Amino acid sequence: MTADTPLLQLRDIRMRFGAIEALRGVSFDIRRGEVVALLGDNGAGKSTLVKIISGGLQATSGTMVFDGSERHFANPSEAKAAGIETVYQDLSLCTNVDVVANFFMGREIVKRYFGIPILQEAAMYEATERAISNAGTRIPSLRVNVEHLSGGQRQAIELNRFVHWGGKLVLLDEPFAALGVEQTRRGLEMIKNIAAQGIAVVVITHIMAQAFQVADRIVVVRQGAVVGDVQSADTSPDAIVQLITGEALPGQARNARVSNP
Amino acid sequence: MISSSRRKAVEFVLDHLVWLLLAVVLIVFSLTVPNFAQAGIYANIIEQSTFVGVMAVGLAIVIIAGNMDLSVESVAALTAMATGILFCSHGIGLGYAFTPEWLVVPVSLVLSLAIGAIAGLINGFFTIRLKMNAFIVTLASYIWIRGLVVAVSGGRSAQDLAPPLRWLGIQTLLQVPLIAWIAIVVFVLFTFLLAKTPFGRHVMMIGGNQVATYRAGIKVDRLLMWTFVLAGAIAGLAGWLLAIRTSGATANLGTGMLFNAFAAVVIGGVSLKGGVGKLPGVYAGVLLLSSIHTAINLMGLPAHYTQVILGLLVLAAVLLDTVKHAIRQKFI
Repeated sequence: MTADTPLLQLRDIRMRFGAIEALRGVSFDIRRGEVVALLGDNGAGKSTLVKIISGGLQATSGTMVFDGSERHFANPSEAKAAGIETVYQDLSLCTNVDVVANFFMGREIVKRYFGIPILQEAAMYEATERAISNAGTRIPSLRVNVEHLSGGQRQAIELNRFVHWGGKLVLLDEPFAALGVEQTRRGLEMIKNIAAQGIAVVVITHIMAQAFQVADRIVVVRQGAVVGDVQSADTSPDAIVQLITGEALPGQARNARVSNP
Repeated sequence: MISSSRRKAVEFVLDHLVWLLLAVVLIVFSLTVPNFAQAGIYANIIEQSTFVGVMAVGLAIVIIAGNMDLSVESVAALTAMATGILFCSHGIGLGYAFTPEWLVVPVSLVLSLAIGAIAGLINGFFTIRLKMNAFIVTLASYIWIRGLVVAVSGGRSAQDLAPPLRWLGIQTLLQVPLIAWIAIVVFVLFTFLLAKTPFGRHVMMIGGNQVATYRAGIKVDRLLMWTFVLAGAIAGLAGWLLAIRTSGATANLGTGMLFNAFAAVVIGGVSLKGGVGKLPGVYAGVLLLSSIHTAINLMGLPAHYTQVILGLLVLAAVLLDTVKHAIRQKFI
């Protein structure tokens, strides 16, 4: 393990919705360049946890240390400004405008004439082209509306946009739910690419095979608590399923957690 | 999958369908309707397009952002009535005057814009802050603001607007009335605003995917509020122009313009689903409707038929929106 401190540290995160305790003291770390698969059954608390990390919800108690300092994000924009972003299943793109407009959504390059901000299309086009080609993504035309692009290309735009704007931790919620086999393969490759650039990736998925293909580590949430935190090389899909459902004794994975910092 | 050149061709035709329709209609009317083919008639079509045209600009911006504003007609009537009551010398007019006299022009204009903006602010408050349905909120405004116009005027009219305003109403430039040029300037200005500024880009994107723009840190609520305020202020301008043109105001001034504006916006290629549309197309839509109105008048059809045809046109416009959507799905 590297000596540097984790990018994100969660300590005893609790979340109450009235009488219901959705999270009951969640703690785990994520390092730079690490891909973590977050697994758990429906209602286990995955999405609550993801929303807390990305600023969509505020934890009832517990601390979150990101990039060396304790943070409390009041909303997704604050998290985003810090470099944490969620890429949702339903995609955060406006399909009615072109690739360039999406790439610069909310961060348009403007030049002021008599105080009126005017969009600088050529400059934005160049920057988009450079970022997309650096990432090795192929998109036929940056001037085509996103509605005409495939699911894989759309995801590539989102991830490239995230990396381009200085993202540090990306949360992917069911990233391949709508993609075909070949697109999923490319998507998994893209995730590894992103991680190789030092960005931490959290993948929320139901598909065990994908978790094992892409993740360095697997974190299992059950009934609002982390019941397993293991290197994916040290475990098996069967063991993970048992952790998710809580059917068998989770001794094997619990031991693994102890041995893993 | 079809080739990208064919897709571009289909897209180009769909995007510019309204200009094609306008050209066809003008040619057909010029050839078949007696007395249609003369400069005076064309100038008249442009003049007729003024009020509906200006109103349609604001309406289009709100619809592109994914909302609806049915109140623009009543707002225009309200500002026309306010201008009429304050600056007319006969009827219910109070006849306020300034020294120098021309001051009435900027004062009445600013007042009209402000009244319109306040109406827009009210619409925006209920729609955005209280998250009520824009259709219902602005339908309510459409009714109560018109009611207000009737109430403050007592159903009577104001005549004889202050001379500087009347003078503005009869000026022409290149055979086209000055007020029609004002409408054209409004179109050019807002076309530029929508196409070249972050404001326009964001309005378009909010209409396409509001959640995405919110996540991208765009201040969605504030921008949507601006679209309502703009639509209100622009409707206020339309009312001001209406008062100038008619040199006064009546309680039923502008009745029926909403559906003309609405039809023009949809015919002009603005999708009711939001996120799609350009203002030049809307202006073409307004010109198209004015051409049809003019042709009906020239053919001497009874006025009642105009309303039947208008209703069918609105229906056709919405149908066109649906058909275009289907064509896009199929061919693109």
